[in-house]
Amino acid sequence: MIAMGTEGVCGESFYPSDEEIKKWMDKAFDMAKDALENGEVPVGCLLIYNNEIIGKGRNEVNETKNASRHAEMVALDELRDWCELRGLEVKRVCEKTVLYVTVEPCIMCAAALRLFNLPVVVYGCRNDRFGGCGSVLDISSANLPQTGTMFKCVAGHRAEEAVEMLKIFYKQENPNGNPNKNDLLNYVTFLLL
Amino acid sequence: MFKFGTMEPERKRLKISDCDVDSWEVVPVLSDELSQDVELVDAFAAPILDKKQTSKLVQQLNTLHPLTSLAHLKRVRACKNKDSPHALEILICSVNDADEPCHFDCSNAGLGEPFAVKIPRTPPLTRRQFEQASEHWPTCFHEVKQVTAALRGELFNAKQKAQMRDYMMLAIDSAKAGKDLGMSAVGAVVVDPSSDKVIAVGHDCSKDHPLQHAVMVCIDLVAKSQGGGCYTYEKYPGCKFNSPDLENKTPQPYICTGYDLYVTKEPCVLCAMALVHSRIGRVFFGIRSEDGAMGTKFKIHTRKDLNHRFEVFKGVLARLPLISTELKVKRRRS
Ligand SMILES: [Zn+2]
Ligand SMILES: [Zn+2]
Repeated sequence: MIAMGTEGVCGESFYPSDEEIKKWMDKAFDMAKDALENGEVPVGCLLIYNNEIIGKGRNEVNETKNASRHAEMVALDELRDWCELRGLEVKRVCEKTVLYVTVEPCIMCAAALRLFNLPVVVYGCRNDRFGGCGSVLDISSANLPQTGTMFKCVAGHRAEEAVEMLKIFYKQENPNGNPNKNDLLNYVTFLLL
Repeated sequence: MFKFGTMEPERKRLKISDCDVDSWEVVPVLSDELSQDVELVDAFAAPILDKKQTSKLVQQLNTLHPLTSLAHLKRVRACKNKDSPHALEILICSVNDADEPCHFDCSNAGLGEPFAVKIPRTPPLTRRQFEQASEHWPTCFHEVKQVTAALRGELFNAKQKAQMRDYMMLAIDSAKAGKDLGMSAVGAVVVDPSSDKVIAVGHDCSKDHPLQHAVMVCIDLVAKSQGGGCYTYEKYPGCKFNSPDLENKTPQPYICTGYDLYVTKEPCVLCAMALVHSRIGRVFFGIRSEDGAMGTKFKIHTRKDLNHRFEVFKGVLARLPLISTELKVKRRRS
């Protein structure tokens, strides 16, 4: 395993290795499975800096009554707290932080990741309803000079499993329902992601 | 809970002309399909030699080349050329249909030499599109009065504009409070139009948190008014909320459903998509912004592939200094 040291890694060449992607995506999938077993939306989301988890999130829309509290937004707040506690500058830390998430971030979260200047996002399955990394809009690479910096995406890691978990979750929530694909994504991504 | 004070002292310091409801126009930010020119496609038509055969010809062609996706078009039109010996012309088929060989025997059916025409591909949605379309071929138009009125700037009367001005003034006051704390001078207000009650007032706080744009602050303040929320605003006296009268309110307010947002400048992608997730009712903003997502770079509020759409209007108090200057400064720099 190659450790992601702060030394010798400049912004442009900053990229996680295959082993790192596997390790942290496995962890994100464990989180998603845990959530599924607890009746929560099965999405795992981790922010990794220097081989350490500095932020993780689950969807908090229902308890906060704030529809912008997606897992990524919650994780970014944890990252801020982590930096504050250690007296580190958020911008410096973000330059070398990777987001690992089991589902493609939505348009809003993609804009948030730009505003935090995150360089790389690794995700599992596409988000056909709200995806901001190419599925609906490509915010990750759009020309938006006032909206932070572009980020690179690594897509498709264990994608079928991520979709499968969302399907199981939907069936549990709506045992009498007759889910079609649109209903599923609509329900999951609007209410809970 | 806070009381929102009157805005009189502020109003006095401003030039009356800039606040005058006649000095600015509320302009809808329409989807591309409403604002674009009509799209034309190629078709064939031919003159009708014997006027008495018209209904028979229409029947024959409707069977052979039905206007399935072109139901907005009339089959027959009066001949445009006054010198022509024939009074009527009939639409035979569009060029797409003609990719399969056209079986209609024009000369035997009593038609003159076929000629090429341009026809509008889709039904016109605005009066402007209708007028463009009709220049090419007679077209049906189901006018949506609201769209026509909106496009003429007639959707809102002077009294409604005065109310918009008052809400936008609250947003400006908040923007100023934020500016005094070193934030970007952007302010926003959320209103319940069914009761004319101000639910939330907030300003940009992005110096302290990169995602705390004025709109994001207001979304969280609305959540607080409903017993939720996730941030504290003690440091920011310019950010406050009012709980709606829950006893009298049915149904219970749910996120931003049915609420109007007033914001001094066009929301960015983050804020625009947060408003989609929050199911905002309508958005009114002052001026465009460089990365704006409600007209400038994207029109997130009009996208059919998202699960919530809403009306957006721009131009509210657009000539007021605080609203107009920020963009001027940016333009000079670029
Ligand atoms: Zn999201
Ligand atoms: Zn914004």
